Amino acid sequence: MSEPVASPKTAASPPESTRTGPGRLLVAVYGLFALSASARAAVQIATKFSHAPVAYVLSAFAAVVYILATVTLSNGSPTARRIAVVSCSVEFVGVLAVGTWSIADPATFPDATVWSGYGSGYGFVPLVLPIFGLLWLRHWAKRAKRASAERAIMPSAGDADVVAGSVDGDAHPTGSPVRSVRDPE
Amino acid sequence: MSGAVPTTIIVYSLAFAGYALLMTALNRRMGLSLLVGLGVLEILLLVLVGMIVARLADGGRPPSLPTLIGYLIATPLVPLIAGFWGALERSRWGPAVIAVAGLASAVLIVRFHEIWPAIHV
Repeated sequence: MSEPVASPKTAASPPESTRTGPGRLLVAVYGLFALSASARAAVQIATKFSHAPVAYVLSAFAAVVYILATVTLSNGSPTARRIAVVSCSVEFVGVLAVGTWSIADPATFPDATVWSGYGSGYGFVPLVLPIFGLLWLRHWAKRAKRASAERAIMPSAGDADVVAGSVDGDAHPTGSPVRSVRDPE
Repeated sequence: MSGAVPTTIIVYSLAFAGYALLMTALNRRMGLSLLVGLGVLEILLLVLVGMIVARLADGGRPPSLPTLIGYLIATPLVPLIAGFWGALERSRWGPAVIAVAGLASAVLIVRFHEIWPAIHV
């Protein structure tokens, strides 16, 4: 028995990890923001920290969150996905909080952070990015849940990819000896 | 410094990003045309980097030299990294990564102008 029976959708659709398919785009954009936010924070803190300390510390914090999200989204293991959910959530709350703060109290922000004005300096990408990140992670959480449910009901029909994804995130070669042994046929 | 090269890069990279997005919309994978397009973008960016370095060598100084140097290093890497990352993808999301590189390049040129107004756009 081959894996399309277990999960035809999974077998037919290209994304087999959090970094492929739409995840490829997400990781690219997160990587871009990780790079630009950390470079910006590094220069700001190294050259003119006293000018806008709050803004620069927040820039550095945003940079750390972006790096974490980039790494965990491209890793995709269950643990990495949990960390990614936390970092995307922190990112979303951060954009909303810092965005509101920067508008309510402009004096604290003589220089902009990535999240100032809800990310208006970056085309509001910082505002929508965590939403797409969380949607993508939810898609994966559902998929892992479905896979483990399928495995519990009929172990032989579990899709190797998805089952492996819920264990360690690595794709295993299909048709392994273990699976054929457990195959009812 | 004439604004011809930066302006050309902005126009080209936006058009290129539009083409890559069209490929995504049409459900196409990465192909030769996108790789060639990326190569052209890379050459244009290297020409701009060369012009800016020449201006620095002539004694010109931007308000923040570390920022400019960071941009000079990072900018030519954008099409390269996007090319590798996008080529790994065997779906419509490969061209989508390339579109991000095009948009990012256009934004980077505008930022170049902001960090050193001598770089006209």
